[in-house]
Order: sequence, then structure tokens, then C-alpha cells
Amino acid sequence: MLEVRFHGRGGQGAVTASRILATAFVSTGRYGASFPMFGFERRGAPITAFGRFGDEPIRLKTQIYTPDVLVVLDSSQKDSPAVWNGLNRDGALVLNSRQVIKEQKTKNLKKACYINAMGISMEEIGMDMPNSCILGAFAAVTGVIGIDAIIAALADYFQGKKLDANVKCAKRGYDEAEIIEF
Amino acid sequence: MAKAKKLPKVFDYKKHEDPFAKGVAFCAGCPLELLLRFIPQVLGNDIVITGTPSCSAPVLLGQNIGSWHKLAYYGTLMTGAAANATGLVRYYNRAGIENTVVCFNGDGTAADIGFGNLSGAAERNEKFIYICYDNEGYMNTGIQKSSTTPYGAKTSTTPVGKETSGKSNRSKNLPLLMAMHKIPYCATATMSHMEDLAKKLLKAKELKNEGFCYLHVFCPCPTGWGVAADMSIELCRTAVKTNYFPLWEAYKGNFCLTNEVKKPKPLADYIKMTKKFAHFSEKDLDMLQRDVDYSYALLSHITGLGKECAL
Amino acid sequence: MSINPTESAQVKVITGNAAAAIGATLCRPDVVAAYPITPQTEIIEKLSEFHAQGILDAEMITVEGENSAMNAVTAASVAGGRVFTATSSWGLVFMYDAILAAAGTRAPVVMVNVNREPPGIMAVSSGQQDMICTRDSGWIFIVAEDSQEILDMVIMAYRLAEDHDIQLPVMVHYDGFYLSYMAERVEIPTDRDVDEYLSVLKGQPQRPRLIPGKSLGVVTHGILEGYVELRYKHCMALQRAKQKFDQINMDFNRRFGRAYDGQVETYRSDDADIVLVGSGSMCGTVKTVIDQKREEGIKAGLVRLRMYRPFPEERLIETLKGKKVVGVIDRSLCFGFKGGPMYTEIKSLSSELGGGRLLSFIDGLANTDITTAHIEKIIDACLSASNGASCNDVTWVCYEG
Repeated sequence: MLEVRFHGRGGQGAVTASRILATAFVSTGRYGASFPMFGFERRGAPITAFGRFGDEPIRLKTQIYTPDVLVVLDSSQKDSPAVWNGLNRDGALVLNSRQVIKEQKTKNLKKACYINAMGISMEEIGMDMPNSCILGAFAAVTGVIGIDAIIAALADYFQGKKLDANVKCAKRGYDEAEIIEF
Repeated sequence: MAKAKKLPKVFDYKKHEDPFAKGVAFCAGCPLELLLRFIPQVLGNDIVITGTPSCSAPVLLGQNIGSWHKLAYYGTLMTGAAANATGLVRYYNRAGIENTVVCFNGDGTAADIGFGNLSGAAERNEKFIYICYDNEGYMNTGIQKSSTTPYGAKTSTTPVGKETSGKSNRSKNLPLLMAMHKIPYCATATMSHMEDLAKKLLKAKELKNEGFCYLHVFCPCPTGWGVAADMSIELCRTAVKTNYFPLWEAYKGNFCLTNEVKKPKPLADYIKMTKKFAHFSEKDLDMLQRDVDYSYALLSHITGLGKECAL
Repeated sequence: MSINPTESAQVKVITGNAAAAIGATLCRPDVVAAYPITPQTEIIEKLSEFHAQGILDAEMITVEGENSAMNAVTAASVAGGRVFTATSSWGLVFMYDAILAAAGTRAPVVMVNVNREPPGIMAVSSGQQDMICTRDSGWIFIVAEDSQEILDMVIMAYRLAEDHDIQLPVMVHYDGFYLSYMAERVEIPTDRDVDEYLSVLKGQPQRPRLIPGKSLGVVTHGILEGYVELRYKHCMALQRAKQKFDQINMDFNRRFGRAYDGQVETYRSDDADIVLVGSGSMCGTVKTVIDQKREEGIKAGLVRLRMYRPFPEERLIETLKGKKVVGVIDRSLCFGFKGGPMYTEIKSLSSELGGGRLLSFIDGLANTDITTAHIEKIIDACLSASNGASCNDVTWVCYEG
């Protein structure tokens, strides 16, 4: 079972991202449970969401303290201690960033994945909504879920033109992700 | 053979049986008893009536498996009367069951503890008739003040003593407040003007098909106010004649006086009839007169708007 | 339009709140009252959305307060309708007089309560204190562990509440935040299966309804033995609800393929020396730690309370008797007693439990996380106690860290 922690700012879709991923796992016969960090949500304020994903039913109901993967939707958070806290051994990072950062931030970081989710979503959707794109990158760097499953899951959350745009974002996230292994 | 005495017009409205047993537990001379018997006689015995703990409870609610009347009834909480009535009427209307729900409460429920849900039901325009019998206090529990108790009145929680001299603040104008919910029908009535009351009951029955109808009935408590049992109706009449309790209606938002008092009597005439004002000084009388005048001035301006003011 | 008009169950990822709304909608209530409160709000938003789309065909009453919500649904129930509402903590205690009335009136109201800390300290966080505040209301209380159970329990709640032998209101509780906002895999049954599961009720004698023209009163003054008779009947109905719930669960399993075991769920407790007792979402975490401890050779198990009222004493005695140590985890307080509420209740069964040690663990108040580390600590404490080490009767795990 994989434990993932999503970091973002209010309005960027971190909670939705965690849910889309759960849907992707469940619709392919596996299991997923996602939930937000408890607190007041305000646009622009830091948001944390959690997700557990795997092949067995998920019974744990605690918050996530030692995530295997960090999904960071806002590049301004890339150095935040709250983001890096507890990263598990052989951990992975998926970061919304225009640049590739070659530095291994912590020794627990095994793989880092950079994707310009802001740029791609601006082009495809017309607004800064990085979540679908970043999920594509997630699929690419972790290999735990196929991009097809993610794209199929998007249909539960978006319709019409918005769905098409988000699908494009996810695909581009998958294709254009820059992955570094340490 | 002596000619049969012609009955007053009010009897034309008493088309249905009185469903209440004789000799029920009301105080002698209580206008509430007259009101409660009158309602089903005018509206029919197929009303569903709700009542709360109050002066009406010993009669409206049964005891164990016995009841003092034949009506379908629901004993509600004071805190939720209008919400209970809402639940009934919503289900009946959804199930296609014809109904006239009468939510029958004292001023303690209507003006105080149950005001929130009364206001909520009126705002949602629920299709039932809410009747408030106003005896200006919590009578069943021993004459305590409510928010319709008038300025200066003596009650057990606003007593007269060295430091205090009856209720120190004004009462709220509940009927006008209810009219401000923009409901199809809102009216005041009292037990000295039974025809007027009957007409209003029938209008409410008609208009509740469009939405919330509110009737505020001035219903003195002879026991609590220190009035002789045989003077309660006269007290109502004097309340009307002094403009202490004007009779009006807002029919689809259009206000009018249903009994215009061209030359109102001085309030002193009303005050002297009950013990609850026995301690009144000139200053107290003046205060209460001003309060009565204030309410009446508002009312006469609103009713003066005529057809200009309608929902 | 309806929730699932297809031939088979649909698997979706939905929150606990959505599961509650869907469960209720599948049961086709006639009257629904709605008032928002964190962390329940999504339930009524979903119901409003279903109503607007024609999926929920019901009278929606957007009341001005929770007290009115309970009064409105109780009256509609008394008039003969199937009803639903949802609340939490502050709203639950605001409707306290009305929930007492619903139970005393024997109205088969079904309500979901999303557990949250009630007034006393301003808190927008999970805890079971609101359930404890109202445990003596005369309602039937069921507690869910996950979103699937939430949906399933709402359906079962109607089967139980409206059963002619029972006729009592039922409250389905689940943890706010942990379940209300958690999105996980849920199987949504078909409309037809739910209709058929509930259709059993139609074949039973119908309860009296308050309708116009009928000389029928609802709520009378209970005088002396007349009062006592009503209370006695109420208490007897609550006792019957235990077996009835077990039967309803079995019937649910036959139709929907999900077995819940009725009043309590046991997890590896048969041969356990140490048994934890708990309810709600944390039990998922407990099961995971039990598996881990079992691998280390420690015989630990769990008894999960699903029905909290009526108190399933027979099943608790059956599952806890003879155990060396029973550790009761309460997500609430029993003011005036040293231990937690469920601990105190189980302690009253001591003489039937065979002399094992009974320990109280208070944890998870106000969203303090009941972590795997906490459960390990609890099991370790029980283990030492079972080896004869001295151990506090009561431990505030969330305070001692």
C-alpha cells in the first residue's frame, strides 16, 4: 500500500487530486481512500490532503505521517519543512515546477519528478489548475497506476470541454514529466 | 306560543358540532374555552389541531388513553410547534390528503420559546393556520411574564415591590411582526367580536391553501389578571374600544381595520378593569398609553395605504 | 430518475457524507428536513442536489434550525411518512427535547449523526461525545466504521425503525472528518434491491397514522401507571431491537452479499487473550495493528460495538468472557466517572466477565489522531497487565501522547 501526501494551496485542487487518484485505483479493481487535512480552507492558504492506495482494502483511518510519495501542487512550497516532514525511505516527489531541480533534498528521496503543471494547465484549460496534470506525472514517476486509469477517472469529476482539457493535461503530465533518480 | 328568540348572527357560523366534552378543565369564565370550542364549530371537526403544554393542554391533550374531545390532535413541544405542524402538512399535501391543520398555541410559545420556528414556518409559507391565543403571559405555570405582557403589568416574574413596579419594558407587536413575513393572511381577533373572529377563521381556512395564515386572538386570563369570571368578554370589548387591541387583517398583504373605533375610549377604562394594573401610577398609565398610541399610529398609517400596499 | 436504476451495484469513490445521502435517497423518504452543520453539510447539499435533479422525490424542508428539523420529521412520521434528517453535535443537542419526543412518541424516524465534539468547548473536530450526550434518549444507536457501512446502515435503519415490533427512531453515527470527508470505495446497491429489502415492511401490520377526520391523538398526558406502561413498552421494544438487528443484518447479507454480524463485530477475538473494544472509524486502524501484533505472536483481538443502544450486553458477555484483559477505547468522556463511557458500561458486566482485567483508554478527542503507535501502546499496556504488571485503570492516551 502506498501512502501519498498532497500539498497545495486552496483552490488548486489538491483534495480533488487525491480523490481522482482513489477513483482511478478503485475503478481498476483496487482500493483507494483519500481525505483532506482537517482545518479551515481558504483560497491561497496551504492545503494538505492524504491518500492511501493499493491492492487490499484500506482499513487505516489515521493521518499520514510517513508518506511514500509527496505530490506538491504549488512550487512555492518546494522547500517547506511541512512538506518534507516524514518522507519515507525510497520516497518520491512530484512537483509542479517549471525547472528541474537536480538536488536530492533529503536522503529518503529516491525519485523526483518535475512537471510544469501551471504552464500546461494555463495552455489547455485556460487557468492555473495543476491537479490533473500532476496526476499524469504521478503515474509516470511511480508506475503504480496507468495513465489510462487516471484519464478514465477524470470523467467522474469533469464534463464536456473541461473534461477534454483535463484529459489533455493528464496526458501531457505523463508524457512531459522529467524524472530524476537518486 | 312564544316566538322563538332570534339567534345572534354568530350562530350562522357555528355550522359544526362542538367536539369537546362538557365540563372540561378550564377556569370559570376563561375565553380560551370559548375559543377552543368555537374553532371546530366554524372550521369543521376534521381539522387536525396541535397544542403544547399550556392552559389548553389539560383539555386538548388526552390522559393515558382518554381524551376530552373527538378531534385528531398532536401534542407538540413548545419549542417546535410550528415545525411539527410543518411536518404534518407537508406529508398530507404530498400524500394527497385534504387537511386543515390548526397549530394552536399560547403567547408563551408563539412569542417566546417557539418564535424561531414560527418565523421559520411563516418564511417558508407553510400551508397551515397558526392561532396564537394571547393571554399575555405564562398562565398555566402561574402567571409569569412573556414578551406579549404589556408594559407595567404585574406578573409573578415582574412583581410590584419596593424596587420594581411590574414589567419594565414594552411588549412586542407579534401580529404585526408576523404580517412582515409577507404571508397570505394575518389578522387579530378577540372573543367579544365573535362574528369578526368567525370570518377570519374562514378566510384563514381558504388562504392556507396558498400559504401561512396567522391569527392573533386576544384572550384574557380572568384568573391571572384578577378579573371576575363573568367580566372576561367585557374586558375584550373594552380592549378593542380603547384601541389597546385593534382588530385588523392583512389580506394578501393588504391591511385594513375590520372594526374601526371612531372615538377610542381612554386607556384608563381598560386598566381599571384588572388587578394586574392596580398599582399603576399616572406615569405608568401615560407610558402604556403612549405604547398603545404608537402601535395604533403605525397601524393606521399602514391601513391607510389601502390598495397601494398589497403582496 | 433515481440513484441506481441499473441491474447491478455500482462501485464509486464517495465520501461518508455522500454515502449517507445516497443510502437515504435509495430508501425513498417522503419528507426530509435539512439544516447545515459542519461536518454534515455535504449530506444535505447532496440531498438538495438529488431533489433538484428529480432523483429524490421528497418534500424538502429547509428548516431554520435543527430543533425544527427533528420536530418536522417526527410529525411527518406520525402522519405516516418515511422521513430523514441529518445533524451533528451542536445540532444534535439543540434538538434534544425533540429527539426525546420522537422516541417517546415511537416515531420511526431515521437520522444520521456525524460525530463531532458538542458544546462546552468550541471545537470543529471529531469525537463521540455528542453520541454520549444523547445515549439515554431512548433511540436506537448504530455506529459505522467506514463509508460502505454508513450507506448500508442507513438502509438497515429503516428496516429496523419501521418494523412493527420495534417502531423506534434510529440514529446512525459515524466519525466526522475521518469518515464524513474521506472518499473511498463504496458499492451502491440497485434501487430494486433496496426496494425489495424494505418491502418486507409492507407485509406487516401498519402502524396507526394521524390523519384528519380520525379521532386519534398523538401525545397524551401519561398519568401514573399509564405513563409506566408506555415506558415499559418502549424499554421492551429496545430489548427486542437487539435480535431484530441481528436478523436484519443476516437478511442484508443474503440480499446484498455483505455480512456485518449484527450488534457487534469480532475481529480475531475468539482465541485472543487481550481484547480491545471500540466503535467507529478507529477500529480500522485497530484491526491493522492487531494483524501486526499477531505476527509478533501476541494474541490480540477486537470487539467492535456496532449497536450501541440498546446496549448489546449479551453479545459483549459472550465475546469478552474469560479474556485476560479487555481494553476499552473511548472516543469520549463519562463526566463524573474516572473511565470512559463504554468502559463504565462494560464494567457493569464485570461479574459476568470472569474476573479479567478491565482497562479504560481515552483517545481521539477533538481530532487527536488515534495512530497505529497509540494502538500499539494500548495493546502493550494490556499485555503488561495480562502479565500481572500494575497498570492504571484509566489512561488518557491523547493527553499523555
